[in-house]
Amino acid sequence: MSTSPAATAIPEQRATRDARHDRLFAGLLKACALIVLASLLGAAFATLWGGREAFGTFGWHFLANSAWDPGNQDYGALVPVYGTLATSFIALLIAVPVSFGIALYLSEVAPRWLRTPVASAIELLAGIPSIIYGMWGLFIFAPFFAEHIKPWLTNYLGNNPDDGHPSWVAAHVPFVGKMFASDYPFGASILTAGIVLAVMIIPFISSVMREVFQTVPTRLKESAYALGSSTWEVVWDIVLPYTRSAVIGGIFLGLGRALGETMAVTFVLGNAMELSSSLLDPGASIASTIANQFSEAVGLQKSALMALAFLLFVVTFIVLLIARMMLRRLASREGR
Amino acid sequence: MDTLYLRRRITNAFALALGTAATLFGLAFLAWILWATLRQGIAALDWKLFTKITAYGDQGGLSNAMVGSLIINLIGIAVATPIGVLAGTWLAEYANRTRLGESIRFLNDILLSAPSIVMGLFVYTIIVLPSTVLTHGNTTFSGFAGGVALALIALPVIVRTTDEMLRLVPSTLREAALSLGVPQWKLTSQILLRAARSGIVTGVLLALARISGETAPLLFTAFGNNFMTLNPLDKMSSLPQVIYQYANDPGDTLHALAWAGAFVVTLFVLLLSLTSRLLLSRKVSHD
Amino acid sequence: MTSPALALAPSMAPPAAEPKLKVRDLHFHYDGFHALKGIGMDVPEKQVTAIIGPSGCGKSTLLRVFNRIYAIYPKLKASGSIELDGENILDPRYSLNRLRSKVGMVFQKPVPFPMTIFENVAYGIRHHERLSKADMEARVELALRGGALWDEVKDKLKQNALGLSGGQQQRLCIARAIALKPEVLLLDEPTSALDPIATGRIEQLIEELKSQFTIVIVTHNMQQAARVSDQTAFMYLGELIEFDNTEKIFTKPGKKQTEDYITGRFG
Repeated sequence: MSTSPAATAIPEQRATRDARHDRLFAGLLKACALIVLASLLGAAFATLWGGREAFGTFGWHFLANSAWDPGNQDYGALVPVYGTLATSFIALLIAVPVSFGIALYLSEVAPRWLRTPVASAIELLAGIPSIIYGMWGLFIFAPFFAEHIKPWLTNYLGNNPDDGHPSWVAAHVPFVGKMFASDYPFGASILTAGIVLAVMIIPFISSVMREVFQTVPTRLKESAYALGSSTWEVVWDIVLPYTRSAVIGGIFLGLGRALGETMAVTFVLGNAMELSSSLLDPGASIASTIANQFSEAVGLQKSALMALAFLLFVVTFIVLLIARMMLRRLASREGR
Repeated sequence: MDTLYLRRRITNAFALALGTAATLFGLAFLAWILWATLRQGIAALDWKLFTKITAYGDQGGLSNAMVGSLIINLIGIAVATPIGVLAGTWLAEYANRTRLGESIRFLNDILLSAPSIVMGLFVYTIIVLPSTVLTHGNTTFSGFAGGVALALIALPVIVRTTDEMLRLVPSTLREAALSLGVPQWKLTSQILLRAARSGIVTGVLLALARISGETAPLLFTAFGNNFMTLNPLDKMSSLPQVIYQYANDPGDTLHALAWAGAFVVTLFVLLLSLTSRLLLSRKVSHD
Repeated sequence: MTSPALALAPSMAPPAAEPKLKVRDLHFHYDGFHALKGIGMDVPEKQVTAIIGPSGCGKSTLLRVFNRIYAIYPKLKASGSIELDGENILDPRYSLNRLRSKVGMVFQKPVPFPMTIFENVAYGIRHHERLSKADMEARVELALRGGALWDEVKDKLKQNALGLSGGQQQRLCIARAIALKPEVLLLDEPTSALDPIATGRIEQLIEELKSQFTIVIVTHNMQQAARVSDQTAFMYLGELIEFDNTEKIFTKPGKKQTEDYITGRFG
């Protein structure tokens, strides 16, 4: 090819070739993006397919059945579903106010030089693998709980304390007595698992809250301060309403994590396939049941575990869907 | 008037004190968990951790689990990085503001926090079961299957950082290249990805940190193996899986080894996430 | 403001040189916004044509139609015709490769590619021509000399272009554009991100380049237009108000709006 004014004499096949390469490249990229879609759909279909025998055998009764009896080949989802929901609910009950407090402290209270290091330290918590939470829960926190917290709870809130005289609260407020009664001597329980989960999701929720608090325009906050509002009033009356949907989104994000978490709960839940009204008794969650039983399960039991996984996937999918939609709402208002 | 002011001031002080207390509460748990891991882990550190395999039980070490973790993580990153970078590029450069692009970006965010144990069962179904049937049981669980399960967890992290980093690249760079007549695929692969490289590398490191501690997806894919193996088609042990197994052991003798493993994993993961954070903040402050 | 009749005139052209670009009844729409309203003008060959006007008047948009760079964004639409040497470049059959090798562009902010200085210049050439190593080196040197940058960078061609100063980066971008040997060079506010000294060097460079290229420059700086251009077009609200010899525009503008803008009495 000549080197002189070649630029004016571009062969026209070049354009065709570029167009072909562009199409191939775009196709390759799109195929990779579709893998994201495929892995979500695949996970749903694989577990549904694996659970078809259980769904076929038990039908809707699967959801309401509290039995999990390999001897009689009778399986129901009630115990693990209850355990999953109860531990996650307890986790939220603890984690939401604490996370809000942390976000409040980091965005309004702490001296500026302290904010970044403390925020990074809290986010460090999010980076610790969940199995470490599980081990800490099993070897450190559960014994601590059994020794220091549980006796207090059974004595003051339970209906069968050591001295045989239930407290006023246990006797008069419905359910409380049952929720905190326990003959089980160890630390593993639904409540313990809920607390460990709470510690695990606090960094997630608080960092979302902190981030969205920072999106509130300074002008808005300054005008409220100018009217004489206190810090708390600015946060409660201005910041929180402004960021409400994203705050709820952050909470649901934490809930999604809690529902699907395996290792942090498996160690401290006790893995009892029985329904108990007490939060101090051991239980099971969907993820812990799968982790404990899947390797040795065959036939209908394996299928029932797959069916549980399908339920877990669908529930977390819906929770995370809500979370992302809520988070997106603030982002779209921000014009991002 | 005065009582109103007083009440407002008390409410304020009370709320701010609670916020501070909540932060201390969070930091206390962080310190507690790290301290426990550090103390128990260091107490159990021993050379035999790195030289002996798990087959010797409490007289052994974790060397096969460490090597297994390394191999499985490498497979995971090797599978997830190209797919994730290309998918993220598609989202940022080709499908930005299209309906399919927005949907996939949204679903990727969901995949980011999907239950990892379900992803493990998914890979069990699509890799472990078929390979068992095809090889008449010679190959069942494998390090490769474990790697693929981890890849599914790393994938959304890489997709998201690539997407975000590319969208930070100024559009003038695209215009400048296109005004020279450079076709889109060259612009994307030779200029834009190069401009976003350091951010994308950070995303890969974050993904590695994320999968290094994952246990649940490995239980039914890589399974575990008490002997050293380098063959990715064998059953393979990994640090998290051995920690899980040892910590669950009713006897006390294996717990020390579990703590040692926990210490190694935590150290690795925290160092990785600190490094990537530093890289990221340096990049942000530069621009 | 009442002067829509002006826009209906088929073209406004100062006489003298042969037109390189003939713009006829050019309209441009995005998202329902009518950004260019029936522009008609003849851009003379191997001269500098400046486009001035208040921000939002459509001057950058007009420039971005000249090499169809707007086409990378969805929902943008141009109608009418722009003839380059007698061929309509808005015709979809007019190859983008051909158009962009004939019409080079330099942007407001310097945008060096994330590669070495040498590679920045060679990158575009490589896409259009296959040259031997020696030919490529000669070509890059020629382009860098053309961009008045050679003496400053000849010893560090292998260094990353991001290490250059803002003014040097912009001259690198000009060198990168002229390396393709285009016929038309579009400059979109090329000095707005630069300090006065760097600006002076670029203006001097424009003066040197006009013997080889037809240059169209968009600028918000009237003094710059007066200094560097032979012809000046004044645009307002998507219309071409006046187009004439620069000297005439700045001394005896024919339209009241032009005069108001030139004298700084603009709303």
